[in-house]
Amino acid sequence: MTSRDRCDDEPEKGKGKKNVTDDASVSWRKRKKHFFVLSHSGKPIYSRYGAEHKLAGFTATLQAIISYVENGGDNIRFVRAGKHQVVFLVKGPIYLVCISCTEEPDDALRGQLELLHGQMLVILTKSIDRCFEKNKKFDMTPLLGGTEAVFSSLIHSFSWNPATFLHAYTCLPLAFSTRQAAGAILQDVVDSGVLFAMLMCKHKVVSLVGAQKASLHPDDMLLLSNFILSTKSFRTSESFSPICLPRYNPMAFLHAYVHYLEVDSYLVLLSINSDDFYHLKDCRIQIESVLVNSNVLGEVQKSVQDGGLHVEDVPVDSSLRSDSPSPHPGQGRAALASRIGGPAGLWHFIYRSINLDQYVSSELSSPLNSSRLQKELYRAYQKLYVSMHDRQIGPHKTQFRRDESYVLLCWITPDFELYAAFDPLADKALAIKICNRVCQWVRDLENEIFLFGGSPFSW
Amino acid sequence: MASRRRMLLKVIILGDSGVGKTSLMNQYVNKKFSNQYKATIGADFLTKEIQFEDRLFTLQIWDTAGQERFQSLGVAFYRGADCCVLVYDVNVMKSFENLNNWREEFLIQASPSDPENFPFVVLGNKIDIDNGNSRVVSEKKARAWCASKGNIPYFETSAKEGFNVEAAFQCIAKIALKNEPEDEIYLPDTIDVAGNRQHRSSSGCGC
Repeated sequence: MTSRDRCDDEPEKGKGKKNVTDDASVSWRKRKKHFFVLSHSGKPIYSRYGAEHKLAGFTATLQAIISYVENGGDNIRFVRAGKHQVVFLVKGPIYLVCISCTEEPDDALRGQLELLHGQMLVILTKSIDRCFEKNKKFDMTPLLGGTEAVFSSLIHSFSWNPATFLHAYTCLPLAFSTRQAAGAILQDVVDSGVLFAMLMCKHKVVSLVGAQKASLHPDDMLLLSNFILSTKSFRTSESFSPICLPRYNPMAFLHAYVHYLEVDSYLVLLSINSDDFYHLKDCRIQIESVLVNSNVLGEVQKSVQDGGLHVEDVPVDSSLRSDSPSPHPGQGRAALASRIGGPAGLWHFIYRSINLDQYVSSELSSPLNSSRLQKELYRAYQKLYVSMHDRQIGPHKTQFRRDESYVLLCWITPDFELYAAFDPLADKALAIKICNRVCQWVRDLENEIFLFGGSPFSW
Repeated sequence: MASRRRMLLKVIILGDSGVGKTSLMNQYVNKKFSNQYKATIGADFLTKEIQFEDRLFTLQIWDTAGQERFQSLGVAFYRGADCCVLVYDVNVMKSFENLNNWREEFLIQASPSDPENFPFVVLGNKIDIDNGNSRVVSEKKARAWCASKGNIPYFETSAKEGFNVEAAFQCIAKIALKNEPEDEIYLPDTIDVAGNRQHRSSSGCGC
């Protein structure tokens, strides 16, 4: 069993370095994106870089700024200082601050701070607020012992995982019957009193079932999978850990049984009972045997190897290109190997189904094959997302934007949102046509790339 | 069940302007002293790591401005303080008489849970001036006042010569260690799905 104190976990990479830097060091100041969590008395709780206790003077300054504005009956939201942006989020007695020169919109950074706070609740629940009510001096850091890697992994995901701004989850592509087989056995254990049963492959959902009326928010799924994937002790043995799903119930712990079935595939069973370990273990044994017998795990491995949707496979008719259309993924790709990207200069897309709370994203490939370019693309999407959902002047329906890096196209309807990136020289009319094709293609493949019946809000 | 973990202590320094709060901090944290007076604007924040009885402490020191125009910052600054250091100048009677105001103001603004027993430390600074010939507050008088306020520890210091500064701050760690709450088990709510109610765990959280 995994205890709350995760001190036995291996420290994250660079932890040694973390202990020597403080706010006076040049390397610390050069960091592009800092995250800080502090208490309302200014005590440090978490810092992405540098040792928390060495930054006590810095967090004191942050608290003084926040509290000073608060005293005037106001709230500080952000400060711009040259190319740096300081974004504040006050969550009761917990203050979160991001200092960044990445040019991300402040709403996007605030969303990231919300997730950081959510991650803290996953580990401790919102009951932590009561500790501060009882004792303003309360020092939260000991309760977060050993969870360093969880936060650094979440912060890293802000630059590669679109779920962090789309508020949707993604599925591993699988044949409809395979996913159905997995769903059926998960449904059986849920019927035996389990609250949620999830079969995951890294951060992608294989199948997911919840008890009646129990809904799982995509943000909770993101935070839960991040917690599991970044906590190494889950990989070594079956674990039973208290866990909070902030969107489900921020005040209370659920109890999570976690077991890795394969290298990257793991099962999560959530119960409200703290003494359910043996029942959940039995459920896992039952699930595992069904998954092995029906070769679901084999199909999962195969899907991981094959990858997801490739822009090269977007079917187009002869009016758009000379090649013959390829209605199925994988076919006809070899013939196009010489071309970079998909038809009409399509480089990448994300399709988010609004009703399903799910998204599907094409595989990143040439010319977006460095992690720096991928990060830039996700930041561009994030910016696009924020501008499309602007509360004051939005929401908008379409946007076409061309700069030196890409053509970005966004299209929002009541059913879906499409974000697409094209070659910066792409033709506008053609790009719009291709976006229509992408949407049609995704709908044609929906049984394989989305989970049906598992939509959190349709139970 | 006292753990060996590092303790972070928020320490507020209060006192009239010019009594040497910033100089004391500079002597303590940076081992430096300057005769030039530079008024603190709002507050300065310093950290100092110390060891006391095998425990590591990080002192988060809030060096506040003594001028009255900054007093409105009080609530924001004092929240969650672990200790308050009151400083006066042994050569200036008014700065000693004001200790009472500083103490009361702090207790009102910080509203600690147990004001009677909130840890204060009093420092009588600038004992080096004129070899003590210009001092107007006697040690006896100062100690009597400290005794009347629940036996506040008292130190006579010289920021200029670095006299007694270390000892005064060691004392803060000592008090904090004495007052360290027992670690209790952190127990949030559990869910009762059937009744849709939440149980509050009996022991609550330990702090």
